[in-house]
Amino acid sequence: MNILIGTLLIGGVAVWLYLGLPNSEWRRAAWLSTWEMVRFTAPRMVVALLGAGFFAELLPREHVEVLFGADARVTGALLAAGMGPLTPGGAFVSFAIGAAALKAGAAPVAVLSYVSSWSLFSLTKILAYESPLLGKRAVLLRVAVSWPVPLAIAALGGLLSA
Amino acid sequence: MSFVVKEEPAARPPEPKPKKIVDGGLLFLAAFTLASGLGVAWRFGAGRAWEIVLETGAFIAVLSPKIAAGLFIAGTLPMVLPRDRVAAWIGGESGWRGLVLGSVAGAAIPGGPMITFSLAAGFAAAGADLGAVIAFVSGWSLLSLNRLLIWELSFLPHDLVALRVLASLPFPLLIGWGVRVLVRRQTA
Repeated sequence: MNILIGTLLIGGVAVWLYLGLPNSEWRRAAWLSTWEMVRFTAPRMVVALLGAGFFAELLPREHVEVLFGADARVTGALLAAGMGPLTPGGAFVSFAIGAAALKAGAAPVAVLSYVSSWSLFSLTKILAYESPLLGKRAVLLRVAVSWPVPLAIAALGGLLSA
Repeated sequence: MSFVVKEEPAARPPEPKPKKIVDGGLLFLAAFTLASGLGVAWRFGAGRAWEIVLETGAFIAVLSPKIAAGLFIAGTLPMVLPRDRVAAWIGGESGWRGLVLGSVAGAAIPGGPMITFSLAAGFAAAGADLGAVIAFVSGWSLLSLNRLLIWELSFLPHDLVALRVLASLPFPLLIGWGVRVLVRRQTA
């Protein structure tokens, strides 16, 4: 159901964007640009989803529950936040790992902390894109201000769901 | 709604920039996948590893219409986005309005880090304020709609996704504001 709703929304936006392009030259350029995106994303996606599937199978359930379960509370959220930057690859990897950890007994709050920490501090993103494009000073300023945010999101999430 | 496409005069579209397909990131990911695949085959047998390959293939097939539409948006939107106007909206004197606009623009922007950080660098070069640029980057990091619809809802239960979004909502603004305060203190 989630997948169907997402597909309809994203598809609607794509059609709207396509109909807004001024002429056939722009439409051709849009297809070319999309093709570049496909060539870049498809291999990464297939490899990453496979890797996430294998990784989820290897997750030691009993450890996940002890380290990230409901009883682990703050230490679980902290540890989860620490793993965020270290996760390789794109969004699919972190969400797949989050989903696998949830199934293996991790607390929702720990998953919130992990996913938020990956979103903000993924080392792949920072080293490959942010630092070269925006400069070290911007990265340092951003990290200096936002380092507690994953824990704050986890805490807020815990309060909101209580 | 009619599906008649437009045919109007317009300036030439921008040339697409080809990207390097095989890079360090992909090789690292491939090594990670290979190692975990071998790990599964060693612990649970090659049959289980093959089952996971098939499950993943089926999952990709189910997701593919969504991914295709998402890639079209990610490829096309940067072509039609008025960069200079956005930079002016989130300029140095833009106050809270600039931070809000930056965060919202970040959430709405489709596509991966390459697109987002190039846009952010473009805004900064066109005179946007660093706090607003970082609000934009943080809005994209925490609230990216495209990623939420394509990936997050495909993996995580929707109540957890809703909780995450709700709990993350104030932070792009707060981060942008915090960066402004730090920058002011540094230059004062």
